[in-house]
Amino acid sequence: MSLDWQGALNVVLEHPLFSVGLTLAVYQLAQALYARTKLMLLQPLLVAVLLLVGTLVLLRMDYQLYKNNTQLLTLLLGPATVALAVPLYQNIKRVRQVLLPTLITLLVAGTFATVLGVGIAWLMGAEHMIVMALAPKSVTTPIAMLVAEQIGGSASLAAVFVMITGMLGAIFGVELLRLFRVVHPAAVGMALGMVAHAIGTARCLQEGEEQGAFAALAMSMMGVITAVALPLVVALLS
Amino acid sequence: MLLRGLTVLVLFQLLGSALNVLILPVLPGPIIGLVLLFVYLLVVGKVNQPINEAATGLLRYLPVLLLPPVAGVLVHFNDIIVDIWPIAVALTLSATVSIVFAGWLMQKLIERQQKRKEQA
Repeated sequence: MSLDWQGALNVVLEHPLFSVGLTLAVYQLAQALYARTKLMLLQPLLVAVLLLVGTLVLLRMDYQLYKNNTQLLTLLLGPATVALAVPLYQNIKRVRQVLLPTLITLLVAGTFATVLGVGIAWLMGAEHMIVMALAPKSVTTPIAMLVAEQIGGSASLAAVFVMITGMLGAIFGVELLRLFRVVHPAAVGMALGMVAHAIGTARCLQEGEEQGAFAALAMSMMGVITAVALPLVVALLS
Repeated sequence: MLLRGLTVLVLFQLLGSALNVLILPVLPGPIIGLVLLFVYLLVVGKVNQPINEAATGLLRYLPVLLLPPVAGVLVHFNDIIVDIWPIAVALTLSATVSIVFAGWLMQKLIERQQKRKEQA
């Protein structure tokens, strides 16, 4: 009697829990790697995506199948996005004295950051779908993905651009600011939080608590303002 | 407690999705939910325990929830290769220039605010 190895393998691979388990496993692996090395380049989400995509390709698993089988996880993304209101509320309460400079910087520099990225890509002749995925690159990933999809870009591409922007900011941001004599803790925090979102905020926390607090505030406000303003502006322009 | 908070978050998201269809097709449902929850927190004046617990729990594992959609980049591999130069230049230039500009502007504004306070 011969055992049906191929059949058993197929049942395991096509089981929804395989996709869910794989997702949990690669994330924990990536997180352990980051905890060991503390290298900004080894962002857990980025390493996890590389591991995940590599595994899917090796197993010849269709992305559509993986996507359908992980709906259990994706379903919670909506409530998690809503939950971003909580850190936003807590951060705003903490920095009342400089609320006006904060708001002005967010509106002026935030618009500048978005227009510059979109403008360069558009002038260099990038595809519309790519340009729209670049627009929310300074915003925290869940919001960026929603916004990109809304304005006609790819959500997953947006997530990759968000991660690259975050890493660039975290790696060069503080030194670059020092070069231009920007050393005020609130200013350093604002700059990194609004451009390099969560990764920039993590970098700021290494600099000091005030930098970290402002980065967290800038990140959550930049996220919400972009989420509301960008789709409206794109809808008006097109 | 966690379940009660999660229920509140789910309700806000569903409310957002309904409003998205009814009056605000431009904004995604979860974003409307986020704004509504923020307004609710401003009105109430504090984050109550169940909401805080559910929010902290969900946000802690946010990267895991993001993994499945982000892995969709697999499908876009060729699109990235085709536009690799615009993407690379746009990302590097706008990240570096924006950081310097944002930091410089914030520092100038804070200095101006402090000077005004000293004069007053």
